[in-house]
Amino acid sequence: MTNLSVRETNLPRRRVLRAAVAAAAVVCTLAACSPVSNNDGGQPGDNQSAGQDSFGTPADPAAVKQGGKLVIALSAEPDALDPTLSRSLYSRYVFQAMCQKLYDVDERAQVVPQLATALPTTSGDGRTVTIPLRPGVRFADGTPFDSAAVKATLQRHLSNARSARKSELGPIDGVDTPDAQTVVLRLKQPFAPLLGALADRAGMIMSAQALRTRGDDFASAPVCVGPFKFAKRVPQNSIEVVKDPNYYDASKVHLDAISWRILTDASIRAANLRSGDAQVADSVSTQDFASLRQDASVSVLQSQSLGYQGLTINIGNVDGVGTAPKPINRPLAQNAKVRQAFEHAIDRKALVDAVFNGLHAVACSPISPASPFSSPEAQACPAHDPAKAKQLLTEAGVPTPYPVTMLASNTPDTLRLAQALQSMVKDGGFDLKINPVEYSSLLDEQDRGNFELLQLGWSGRIDPDANITNFVGTGASQNVAGYSNPQLDALLTQARQAGDVEERKKLYGQAVTVLQQDDALIYLYRQRNLTAVSKQIQGLQVFPDGVLRAAFAGYTK
Amino acid sequence: MARYLLTRAWQSALTLLLSTIVVFVGVRALPGDPALALAGEDRSPEALEAIRRHYGLDQPLPVQFAQYVERMAQGDFGVSIRTGTPVSSMLTTALPVTVELSILAILLATVLGVGAGVLAAVRRGRPAEWLANGLALIGLSVPHFWLGLLAILYLSVATGLFPASGFVPFLDDPVDNLHHLVLPAVILGTGLAAIIMRQTRSAMLDSLSSDYVRTAKAKGLRPRAVITRHALRNSLIVVVTVVGLQLGGLISGAVVTEQIFGLPGFGKMTIDAVFQRDYPVIQAVVLLTAAAYIVINFLVDLLYSVIDPRIRVTGEPA
Repeated sequence: MTNLSVRETNLPRRRVLRAAVAAAAVVCTLAACSPVSNNDGGQPGDNQSAGQDSFGTPADPAAVKQGGKLVIALSAEPDALDPTLSRSLYSRYVFQAMCQKLYDVDERAQVVPQLATALPTTSGDGRTVTIPLRPGVRFADGTPFDSAAVKATLQRHLSNARSARKSELGPIDGVDTPDAQTVVLRLKQPFAPLLGALADRAGMIMSAQALRTRGDDFASAPVCVGPFKFAKRVPQNSIEVVKDPNYYDASKVHLDAISWRILTDASIRAANLRSGDAQVADSVSTQDFASLRQDASVSVLQSQSLGYQGLTINIGNVDGVGTAPKPINRPLAQNAKVRQAFEHAIDRKALVDAVFNGLHAVACSPISPASPFSSPEAQACPAHDPAKAKQLLTEAGVPTPYPVTMLASNTPDTLRLAQALQSMVKDGGFDLKINPVEYSSLLDEQDRGNFELLQLGWSGRIDPDANITNFVGTGASQNVAGYSNPQLDALLTQARQAGDVEERKKLYGQAVTVLQQDDALIYLYRQRNLTAVSKQIQGLQVFPDGVLRAAFAGYTK
Repeated sequence: MARYLLTRAWQSALTLLLSTIVVFVGVRALPGDPALALAGEDRSPEALEAIRRHYGLDQPLPVQFAQYVERMAQGDFGVSIRTGTPVSSMLTTALPVTVELSILAILLATVLGVGAGVLAAVRRGRPAEWLANGLALIGLSVPHFWLGLLAILYLSVATGLFPASGFVPFLDDPVDNLHHLVLPAVILGTGLAAIIMRQTRSAMLDSLSSDYVRTAKAKGLRPRAVITRHALRNSLIVVVTVVGLQLGGLISGAVVTEQIFGLPGFGKMTIDAVFQRDYPVIQAVVLLTAAAYIVINFLVDLLYSVIDPRIRVTGEPA
């Protein structure tokens, strides 16, 4: 592991950066940064100004041609195309075209029925969930979509040894099929995040026949219900799907085929878009945003993610994630005041402006302002106040400058973020050292607890529980900070079991207050997914779940 | 000759076995865990455990090594941890791409390099030499990825002459296949062309000032015949050595070129596998590369004896 101190290098660039940070800080002071402003009220449309959501609009059937193949330049390779096993965000892009779900998400992050005909009805005790299914639907292999298929799929999610869906589905005790069009889920205890899970991969229903014949090899030729069906995959290069004649709403499908081509470099994706070899490019770099927006033939969709990027502080992860927390003899680990001081030393707005051209949104909690579970408490934000940071350090009895080493991935964006943080927290009395490592090593170090401070993020899910509990709940699978607070655990459990949105909202607001006091995880910003689309294409959309929706797009006449 | 071949074969086998061990230990010495890399965001201890069990990563290292060697001996490269597809089928789709790309690059580089090298030697001190030297300098010093980006920018984006990415198998559509590969092959071949040009030029200068060329000229042979039949033939041995040695460099160059042009080749497969800690794929590609090096070196030695009869007589490499 290299211990590179970025501090010593790039002096002129750092000076420029510092000037930019300072300028942005002035603007920020004048505009009052706290609490986080919700700038997501923009109407969907094309090419809005930076920092405003633009999810794209559905295609106008009269204005699009039938036929054609859409090529999407994708920034990373999807993993196994098996809804039970899949773990990467990018496979969700592909699934969107060929594996429909019981529920979907709309542009306001609300859950809407897809293969179900209505939202589920939950019994009074919250332990029986009834889902009505869409009739007359067939899988890509021609077999009927019915409650038996749903049962087979859910049972596979729950029983497969490598299933990534088991924990998402929560305490399901059994699945009943009173008739072909109805599924009843029996739960051991109420589990509010279930709906959110069924609007993601856990809700993708697979053909029972294909499951029987393919078994664990389902990913080699996945069969679901969808506007498109799987055609071929060249590992590490491309995935292609073709229009499925069996699809129940085939008149809405305009394209003949969609091909995802994996091009990991952002500038190469942009070049492919400009040359016409691809019509869509995902994960546009914030650095390329301005030039692409000036291009008359391209529009850029912006969708703020439900996840976050943040700093995790190692409080008690000594023996690895999942083990009982142990005390760490470091002021940053032992004293919440030192962590609060660190948070007060950060000017999030200046950071986002200087590093990401203001495209990403400031975040101070795990709950996105776009989420229906957001509240004023959930959006409260500790103000940038270097004087207070120094004062807190003095109260904690820590001599300044207090040295902190941060582990971060070695990508250009993260390094620029780290350098900006480094110069920023200096005024608050911290001497930040950056330790950049390659991503796989970072994950390893993180889980082992070999870090003091670490920068990583989470792509986000519809239900807030999936964005919080796993990371800060005592003993949770991704609680890499080794953080434990019984009060927070109680709030999160109550919120999980509460059926009412208002009640959950209140509980999550309280949870955020606790999180900000303890500061085991300092939330920094929410990424905006930037997708560049050729203007030849209509109907391409990206919703807050971050999934690129290409199935109903078409070429402009 | 037979004894020489036998010794070389034995040495090759030993090298291959050693590289098996080095690769096996090397990939496991990398920080990072394939189960973590595969689990991505949704990782729980049970999931990690299940992944490790499924791919045999929970076994002790000696057991894993024994299983690996046993499978290799049967020609089974295992299954990719990342995509779940058999490594052998990944190789059969990736290898032809890189082989075709490399062959095209070598052809282009050799034609350009030898041509420019001969020209530079014959027209020594004249503008033609300066031009050839200048181009060689650019070819050697400009990195592939930058040249590739420029090529995409000017030849794909601005003019639309060539596609910016993608690959069509030769058997599906030979014309489209070449259309997709010309640009990457040129980019990949530039460095090699420059090296070949420099080597050809100096070898040609040596030959042109040697006694047998003077004799040939004195016999009254036409200048063209002197250059091609006498001077060039003797210079070619150097070129063959260089091409042989640079083949390995071509594979590492292909990593970058394939990444830029989105070609589903061997290089891209290797780099992706390393980042994802896909042990079976890394092991297979490194082993294959090692085997390729060994075979190429062997072939180059054989070629020497074809070009230079003196080697054929003594049965030992020069």
